[in-house]
Amino acid sequence: MAPAPEAELVVRPLDGGWGWVVVLGAFISIGFSYALPKAITVFFHEIQEEFTISYSDIAWISSIMLAAMYAGGPVSSLLVTTYGSRPVVILGGVMCWVSMVTASFGNSIIHLYICIGVIGGFGLSFNLNASLTIISKYFLAKRPLANGIAMAGSPVFLCLLAPLNQYLLSNFGWRGSFLILGAMLLNCCVAGSLMRPVTPPRNPSKAVSQKKLEEQTDVYGTSLKRNCMKNFRKFLDFSLFKDRGFVIYLIGSLMFFFGAYAPIVFLTAYAVKQGIEEYSAAYLLSIMGFVDMFARPGTGLLANTKWIRPRVQYFLSFAMVFTGSCHLMCSLGTGYVFLVVYTVLFGIGFGMMFGLIFECLMDLMGSQRFPSAVGLVTIIECCPMLLGPPAAGKGALVDITGDYKYLFIMCGSVILTGGVFLFVMNMYNYHMLDKERAMKEMGQNHEPKDNHDQENGTMMQLKEHPPPEATVEQTAPEAIDETATQADFFF
Amino acid sequence: MECTWTGNQNKLPNITGYWKKDGNEIDSRLTVPLENEQYNLKGVFDIVGEESLGNYSCVFGSEAKIEFVLAAPQMGEVRDKPIVSYAGDSVVIACKMEEPKPKPSTWHWYKANGTDKALIDAAAEPHRYQIHSEGGKSTLTVRNLTQADAGFYYCGAVYLISTSLGRLEVRVITFLEPLKPFIAIVVEVLVLVAVILLYERKSKKKSITGSQKTKKEKRENSGGEESSSVRQRKV
Repeated sequence: MAPAPEAELVVRPLDGGWGWVVVLGAFISIGFSYALPKAITVFFHEIQEEFTISYSDIAWISSIMLAAMYAGGPVSSLLVTTYGSRPVVILGGVMCWVSMVTASFGNSIIHLYICIGVIGGFGLSFNLNASLTIISKYFLAKRPLANGIAMAGSPVFLCLLAPLNQYLLSNFGWRGSFLILGAMLLNCCVAGSLMRPVTPPRNPSKAVSQKKLEEQTDVYGTSLKRNCMKNFRKFLDFSLFKDRGFVIYLIGSLMFFFGAYAPIVFLTAYAVKQGIEEYSAAYLLSIMGFVDMFARPGTGLLANTKWIRPRVQYFLSFAMVFTGSCHLMCSLGTGYVFLVVYTVLFGIGFGMMFGLIFECLMDLMGSQRFPSAVGLVTIIECCPMLLGPPAAGKGALVDITGDYKYLFIMCGSVILTGGVFLFVMNMYNYHMLDKERAMKEMGQNHEPKDNHDQENGTMMQLKEHPPPEATVEQTAPEAIDETATQADFFF
Repeated sequence: MECTWTGNQNKLPNITGYWKKDGNEIDSRLTVPLENEQYNLKGVFDIVGEESLGNYSCVFGSEAKIEFVLAAPQMGEVRDKPIVSYAGDSVVIACKMEEPKPKPSTWHWYKANGTDKALIDAAAEPHRYQIHSEGGKSTLTVRNLTQADAGFYYCGAVYLISTSLGRLEVRVITFLEPLKPFIAIVVEVLVLVAVILLYERKSKKKSITGSQKTKKEKRENSGGEESSSVRQRKV
């Protein structure tokens, strides 16, 4: 029964201790990943004047960077499953460093597109993917909280980077600022070095099976090669599409990302059009960022409670419905106070969504399949994320109506529909999962108790309230467990 | 310029009206009749040059005054923060006269020299200066920057009546300046990474020696049980 010891080597998550240091590392890493594309917009005006190009040309830098960050998902998934999180985050940090330093010497916009956009974007995608994965390895019971805290890195870093960039710009110009920003990105390597690879626990019985592994290195050597090949073929793991929960999640998140960024992009312009002065309008975005900072860990805390955790997918659909209704509400009123209220609510909704979005994927996929799942999800999410703001802006606004109100209505309705869809489909999904688990338990009761005692024992230790992934993990092909733990052994 | 005044309480049939420029009366006083419940006062002034610009007011009796400001179009947003560039590099500074305002006939650029302004002649030094003016926008490119090039620059939008000026500041720094914080941060990163990895290696060694001891003890205690479980697994 060779598979049995490997199944035991599925690591028991730490759920604390060094895990919180890892969360800090992920906080820094994710913070840079999301904040950098938005924070460098501070430099655009000056670069635009020096290269004498239009604003839309230079705004492409941010779009390319975000696109590369999401498109790099599968590549980073592959690297993370093969080498673990730490080397990937360190590589990501170095890539970002290289990208900003070379960009500071740039003399054409194409140079900046490639350096900041492509190389920087890929570096950030390595950071993002690997950070999320290591959280899923270190946490299970407290995972929603860990996710919420780590994702809070994004608004915190944005709040820090924006004024810092202004300061750097006025003291060093954009070239010097890029140089210094590159060095700061190198701190992602520090974050990466905090991400200790998860080692299997050292128990007497497990020590024996470890010895067995060392003795049979030859056999495992060749089987590792075979599994590496399998990994390459799983580069884009399309078998994930067979998973019902995954497809539901994917559709919901696509709808969210389509409508998510357009309101942020056009909020200031909408406020100014209503007669609010520019400074106060810009302040709205700061309010949103500030609220977002607290909404994310708050959501993580809530999602961790025993009432919500087992049905966390419903919480995600609630967050989507809330955000969608927020946008719809915005189109109804005018005035600064009204906009402030809207911004606060939007900040809460946005924070809830981002605090939960990766947690729910982890909940559906389990820590083994999460790296490849997140790579696939991010590369698919690229499209609505990039298409959303221009489509909303041009489609709903300029060509047709000339009123920003319809933009909010459009985004709100898309997100609201997505939320309702998620809610309904998850009801169905949970129902099916419960049925499957009941059938599995009936099947298990007929098998000999000896071999499964220990398996069930470890499974019981892991969770008090088994989330749906409990059944998923047991039915996941053991080969995946093998490769994951093999990789862990090499560090 | 024409002034129309409605809403007079007294509704006098005639009222004196006159023009003032910068607080001083010009022309003679006129008697303005009441027509259709309003008083109209029209003044025609020739704009000959910069002296013609200023604050004009039309005054009705001692009760109503309307002010006009006659001036050349002013530039809207001119950067107040200095533009920072590097020695040996080139810098592009721009001035813009936004859309609804009329475009100047030409643009001039000046470099501040103490309190004076020295006109920049791009034709005389083409390898150093380049001025590109197009309607409402003008850019000045300064190449091969040196410390002497730092300071204030003025762009002048030239109109028939006057020139409106905008002021920009250029700062020139050497490459070493950002390099210092850069190196400092890189060093900090390397130190932190080294510390973290060393700490980890140390604590691993401790746990290995610790667990080896506990392993030995446990093996002595439960040797029999282990072999039986191993046998079970092989099945």
